[in-house]
Amino acid sequence: MPVPTRQAVLDEVLRTLREIRDDLDYDREISENTGFFRELGFESIDVVALGSALEEHFDRQLPFAEFLTRARELKVDDLTVGDLVSFLVANLAPMETKQ
Amino acid sequence: MNPVVLFGLDGATFTILDDLVRRGVMPYLGRFINEGARGVLMSNTLPLTPPAWSTLVTGRSPGHHGIVGFFQPESPSSYYLRVASARDLRAETIWSIVNRYGLRAGSLNFVVHSPPPKIDGYVIPGWVTWKWLKRFSHPRGIIDRLTEELPGFDLKALAMDFEEEQKCLSGAELQDPERWIRLHIERDRQWFKVLKHQLQHDPCELVGIVFDGVDKLQHLLWPYLDPALEPAEPGEEFLRIRDLCRQYFRQIDDFLRQTAEAAGPDATIMIVSDHGFTGSSDAFFINSWLHKHGYLAWREEAQETATAPGEFYWLNSFDLPKTSAFAIEPSNNGIYIQVRGRNGEHGIDPAQYESVRRDLKHRLLTDCVNPATGRQMIANVWTNEEAFGGPHSNLAPDLTLELADHGFFSVRREDGDAIQCRPQPVGTHHPEGVFVAWGAGVRKGARIDAVRLLDIAPTVLRRLSLPIPQDFEGRIIEEIFTANWAEPHRSRKREATQAVAHTANGVAAAEEDDSPEQNADLLEKLKLLGYME
Repeated sequence: MPVPTRQAVLDEVLRTLREIRDDLDYDREISENTGFFRELGFESIDVVALGSALEEHFDRQLPFAEFLTRARELKVDDLTVGDLVSFLVANLAPMETKQ
Repeated sequence: MNPVVLFGLDGATFTILDDLVRRGVMPYLGRFINEGARGVLMSNTLPLTPPAWSTLVTGRSPGHHGIVGFFQPESPSSYYLRVASARDLRAETIWSIVNRYGLRAGSLNFVVHSPPPKIDGYVIPGWVTWKWLKRFSHPRGIIDRLTEELPGFDLKALAMDFEEEQKCLSGAELQDPERWIRLHIERDRQWFKVLKHQLQHDPCELVGIVFDGVDKLQHLLWPYLDPALEPAEPGEEFLRIRDLCRQYFRQIDDFLRQTAEAAGPDATIMIVSDHGFTGSSDAFFINSWLHKHGYLAWREEAQETATAPGEFYWLNSFDLPKTSAFAIEPSNNGIYIQVRGRNGEHGIDPAQYESVRRDLKHRLLTDCVNPATGRQMIANVWTNEEAFGGPHSNLAPDLTLELADHGFFSVRREDGDAIQCRPQPVGTHHPEGVFVAWGAGVRKGARIDAVRLLDIAPTVLRRLSLPIPQDFEGRIIEEIFTANWAEPHRSRKREATQAVAHTANGVAAAEEDDSPEQNADLLEKLKLLGYME
């Protein structure tokens, strides 16, 4: 299976976030620039859960622990949806998707 | 239908339960014990919740089911730790095994059940925050259905509230014990509402539930529960907190009664715990001990983080080029030996691994004496092959410790004595849990010798008249069954359990990352475990 396009990965991330949309205290449109911690109010455990959902969808174990640690080391202001998508694209090769 | 209900009480111990039965706090449990079978249920070598419940529901040991703790390395050579999930579970559960024979199963609040297995039945996993519980429950829509059908159902009260638990557990002392107890009274009440509703409206031949308030109360309130620690003249505050703890257990007792009613006269109820509990008075700062014995070097720039109370440990607090062994997190009592090539560019020569491991084990067993008591701190030290024997032993720490008082060590830096006494005992895990069986097919008054977690799955299948997979590692607890139940239901071993389909941890395609660093964000947030300072 070919490596998914960035757009396909973004679509899946947004679809997953929409599943919990009603429980997020955030009423604006979620985009690549949306920050998980400051805007969506995520805690680290929410990123764990999101990672788990994405691993289930893509049927791949993904190095989320390393990803989050490195982000912390770089003292990034906030992790964005776009950061996550970039990470996923880099680590999803090759991929089998679940329908 | 002749259902089996696994009534799980996380951390339950006869030390507490017998006392509560004697005092009339748990009369139904007393009745179950008198009318049923009872015995000590031995946990795994490391009595820890995720591997223990996984052993119970798979009939396999941790080295075979792959769950080594609350956290799993992202690969066998990685020090990046992530929260254990169902995708790390490498063995088939009894839920899907019974499905293969046309029976339905329901699983409530089991750890390491998220993402949920897609069984014929239902799964609402434990250790998932409320925001994600709808997403990670099976079948999709079950949470919405419960919200609609079940009066008083409160998803937020049901789910794990990591913020609340962290608030209560991040300090050395519980600031508001009554709030903590009430949180778990309500939480377990919500889980029971779901159980009762499901028993009545969505019956399955096998249902399991875990009430983990037992563990949470015992961790932080052990002195109020252990009869041996009751003060000669308890004060008002002590009595108030103890009475509230007893209210929790009184509620559990009534849940037992209602479960028996809802499950019906043909049901068998098995009360099980993943491990027991006891009090711990020793404090052992393992990384400080390793530092003093030349295995670990600190990075000076990490000193502030390293010593702040309540702060979780970063691996980059260690000067890795000068470090050969360290502990990453306290809940697994595990020590990792850094091996050059296996774990990155730093560490010992691979040819020295066995001798270093052997020597470290010896020193831990002989050179850890509590100066205040003169007692050896360490009762056992196991290699990963010994504690987690099986194809997945490489996921476990190189050495696993059993402290003499069964406590969990601290990974915090302590520049004073690495071995100290706690001012007051805290609750800690003990290998001896509980097993009580009652109901259809159970011999009245059976008193059985200690059984193991491995024995529960084959016993459940036996009770359901199903074949026992040949790769189960335990035995059927035959002695709990009545004679007229035993004969017509004689089982024989059949084929092995089925391989688990999802991607395995440590598979060849996994990242080759060797950086010995960890996700402190996740681990810090998970101080709720009660094993972390």
